[in-house]
Amino acid sequence: MAATKICFNNRLKSLLIAAFLAGGVVALRLADIQLIRHTHYLQLAEQNRTQVLYQTAPRGRIFTADGAAIATNAPAFNLYYLSAGPKDKEYLERLAQDFAPLLAVKPAVLLEKLNKGVRSGKALALAENLSPQTAISFKELLLYYPGLYLVEENKRVYPYGSFASHLLGYLGSMEGKEWKNRDLSLDYRLNAKIGKNGLEKKFERELKGRDGGIYLEVDYRGRVKRVIEDRKWRAGHDVYLTLHYPLQRAAEEGLKNSKTGRGAAVAMDPRTGAILALATAPAFDPGMFIPYSDEPEVKSKRISEYNLAVQGIYPPASTFKIITAIAAIEKGGFDPHKTIGCPGHYDAGSRLFRCWSTHGPVDFFGGMAGSCDVYFYTIAAQMGSAAIEKVQRMFQFGQPTGVDLPGEKAGNLYGPTKRARNRSYWFIGDTLNLSIGQGELLVTPIKMAQFASAVASRGKVWRPYYLDRLVHSQTGKVLESAKSEQLGTVDIQPSTWDLIFKALKHTVDTGTAARVKLKGLDVYGKTGTAQNPHGADHGWFMAFAAPEGKEPEVAVAVFVEYGEGGSSAAGPIAREMLKAYFGITDSGRKATAVSAQTEQTVGERV
Amino acid sequence: MIGYKSSSRRGKIDWLLLGAMLGLALFGALCIMSAVNALSLSNAVVRTHLIALPLAFTAFLVAWSFNYQIFDEQWKPLYGVIMALLIGVLLFGTYQRGSKSWFVLPFFSMQPAEICRVLTILVAAAFLDRQGRRIRDMRTLILLGVLVGPIFGLIMMQPDFSSIVITFPSLLVLLYCAGINVFYLALIAVFACVAGFFTISWTYLYLHPALLDYKVLAVFYKLGSSVWFMGGFCLLLSIGGYAAWWVFKQLRIFLPSFYFVLATLVVMAGFFAGVFVDHQMKPYQRKRVEAFLAPQSDPQGASYNVLQAQIAMGSGGVLGKGLFSGTQSRLGFVPEKHTDFILAVVGEELGLWGTLSVLGLYLLILWRIAVVAYLASDRYGYLVCSGIFGMFLTYMLINFGMLIGLFPVAGIPLPFISYGGSNLVSSMLALGVVQSVYARRITSA
Repeated sequence: MAATKICFNNRLKSLLIAAFLAGGVVALRLADIQLIRHTHYLQLAEQNRTQVLYQTAPRGRIFTADGAAIATNAPAFNLYYLSAGPKDKEYLERLAQDFAPLLAVKPAVLLEKLNKGVRSGKALALAENLSPQTAISFKELLLYYPGLYLVEENKRVYPYGSFASHLLGYLGSMEGKEWKNRDLSLDYRLNAKIGKNGLEKKFERELKGRDGGIYLEVDYRGRVKRVIEDRKWRAGHDVYLTLHYPLQRAAEEGLKNSKTGRGAAVAMDPRTGAILALATAPAFDPGMFIPYSDEPEVKSKRISEYNLAVQGIYPPASTFKIITAIAAIEKGGFDPHKTIGCPGHYDAGSRLFRCWSTHGPVDFFGGMAGSCDVYFYTIAAQMGSAAIEKVQRMFQFGQPTGVDLPGEKAGNLYGPTKRARNRSYWFIGDTLNLSIGQGELLVTPIKMAQFASAVASRGKVWRPYYLDRLVHSQTGKVLESAKSEQLGTVDIQPSTWDLIFKALKHTVDTGTAARVKLKGLDVYGKTGTAQNPHGADHGWFMAFAAPEGKEPEVAVAVFVEYGEGGSSAAGPIAREMLKAYFGITDSGRKATAVSAQTEQTVGERV
Repeated sequence: MIGYKSSSRRGKIDWLLLGAMLGLALFGALCIMSAVNALSLSNAVVRTHLIALPLAFTAFLVAWSFNYQIFDEQWKPLYGVIMALLIGVLLFGTYQRGSKSWFVLPFFSMQPAEICRVLTILVAAAFLDRQGRRIRDMRTLILLGVLVGPIFGLIMMQPDFSSIVITFPSLLVLLYCAGINVFYLALIAVFACVAGFFTISWTYLYLHPALLDYKVLAVFYKLGSSVWFMGGFCLLLSIGGYAAWWVFKQLRIFLPSFYFVLATLVVMAGFFAGVFVDHQMKPYQRKRVEAFLAPQSDPQGASYNVLQAQIAMGSGGVLGKGLFSGTQSRLGFVPEKHTDFILAVVGEELGLWGTLSVLGLYLLILWRIAVVAYLASDRYGYLVCSGIFGMFLTYMLINFGMLIGLFPVAGIPLPFISYGGSNLVSSMLALGVVQSVYARRITSA
């Protein structure tokens, strides 16, 4: 044996050591793949084998304060073809023949789609977003076609059409930038609909909910093997608004039927600052952007997104005389019973300022009731413009109301201080223009509502708000609730308020605002007609009302663009709004709120 | 060496080697069953494998009881058998997957190249045993080349690329252990490297034509196609060789000029082999090389297989998903899961413990073969064991390396684990020969 051993060498031993070293390297790499990067690969493996048929969650509902669901959901159906089912030619042809008319496509087109689905082996959406009517007509047919799968989804509906459209906003598909900047904590998919404007946009995060889905196990060719999980969605959270349904409805209908059909109406609760109505005309139907796929498409989708109630600025006109009056009374030495003769014009020396009528001798109440320009020219000329500007500032003119709506305009404060700051001169004509709310003075309708409620509450300038509470869809927990916020106080003597109230009531009882006179209520109001050098004048109407002998409960401001007369154009709308708020029907009887409509819509949760 | 003393006691069989082999075979049978569970031909595959197992074990027993020294004696008839099988399959074989490498008989079919792999090692070992003291001569190397050249040629004609991939390194290991001059071995390595370098870089340029905008690369690419460029390149090489010789001479380092001539010729030969392979390569093979060079470039294409196999292994984790429940293999994401990528199934269903066990059993087998080699009673036994050692080492490295991204996909089965009767029979036969060497370690002393 020893003799033969000499022929051997150590080369095989060195190779064995090399083999063990190589084995060690392999073992390390195996540990790297299977131990360290296990989760990564597990995720990839899961992605490989699962396919999901998503189900959009119902968006959170939006309610008015009295319980009307103004934005809710309806079922929508997607029809899937799962290639795990039968796929012989005859079956597919029969399927295409039967379903094509229901889906409103040509059988050949449908057949081609089916063949493609069979070839790809993936779950194929034959139709998406079908209405329940169409889906019901399928139900029976589905029994004969085992490869088909009807998946229920949810679709936003607005039961009251254009109701509060500018406040609600609308939904739309995500566009490039929106997709890029989407909230990654929410499960958006490429075909998701998101809020584009208004509350739908503002509360997108809360309204969205979490989508559900049917998780299917597929093989490497995408063929469905089994259902892994049927995951239920979580609905979005519900939003309750401070809106008063009949009041909002009355405002919208009034604006729609007004002379020009363009304008805005805002109602607020002077005790809290809650917005009871916020209407802009022309309105739109937010539902037209998200029709069922089997519904006829709306051709023109051009809408006016311009929210006149917060974005439109106009001179307040004669409604501003309230401020002139407050300034005069506060200045002292004011005798409301002293009469001033109105010959139909006021001589400012260099120029003649006209009154809209010839009133003859009028005292303070007559001047307010008849909206006599000469009366206010005279008292303004006596006290000077600085006093008027001071009161203006107390009402926070020239500042936005701070309502949580996009694009609110601030308007424009008009007065000598402002003018001086702009390094320009103030003339007597400016004082006269200011006293009747013309000239450079500009306000939004919501500002006027804030103003009306500040007068009604004897000096409380509220920040208008519309969100009452945000309620969790499952636990019912209140996530966010209303915050009533007072921005400032109009600090004047109570006796001044008494005089103003008396004058405004007189205006309703006997003067230009007589249209809002209602039995059993203390109504206060003032009209305004804003001169418009470019066309017809704009009509203003502001009013507030209280049950007899009580605190005012509602303040409204109505604006009709090109409406010509404040009383004629805006007055009837304000009247209908007040009637709707207090539930007065034409027979004078108080009707119970919106119970019928509310019953129908509450619980329409799908 | 470890185990040397204890193993020198008289005994007829090496139990560790047998145990490792049977353990792997058991592993393999389970994983094949699991892998093909979802296939429609599942029964056929499992049945074939279960029939092949006892057949292979019979081959093992026969080889064990047979005196291996007869192979040494009768190496010429053995060589005749190899040639007959390989010529026979070219004449009477059947095409399967684009290569004519199968005998299809009424009851079973077989791949003669698998058996020839083992027989080639036996023949080459016998030849080297006869060379004795002349082993370090170049003549031996050339004669061996003449001997095995026809075998490689016939296999190439099938073509069965994977057989070459295994046999060639096995012979290199055999040559190395036989004591061949390392300089020649290095020349062979240089030859392979030069050929591989040109093939791979031309393939890369072929797949990325944009790179040809660079002048240097364009000239480089032309080397493979224009006769003038080839000639120029050879001239350059000759000048280089002469220059090297001159430099060494001036440095008073005297090496035989013969070495420089040889080195130059080998580099040239490597270059022409590269040209030849480049011209012969099929598009799918180019894609494989591409997938190996840049696996992330095309995840749905050629590198898809490796990626899916890695996902399968990685998703298995430490403990695995359990037999019959791997999603990657069951749902068909892993290709060739019961043959070339069986390790991915092991990794997915049995986890890190599974893959490490397979690796461990392979290392155990290699260790035992090496031990038996040094216990052998004659030089032929040592050489046979070395060749078989090289064979299993190559199998192990290529299979694991392919899976972890160290080698391109070559379509090589893993012996004892993968499905494939011919492979199983020849692998067990090889270990039977090793056992035979072990059993006869004392007798002829």
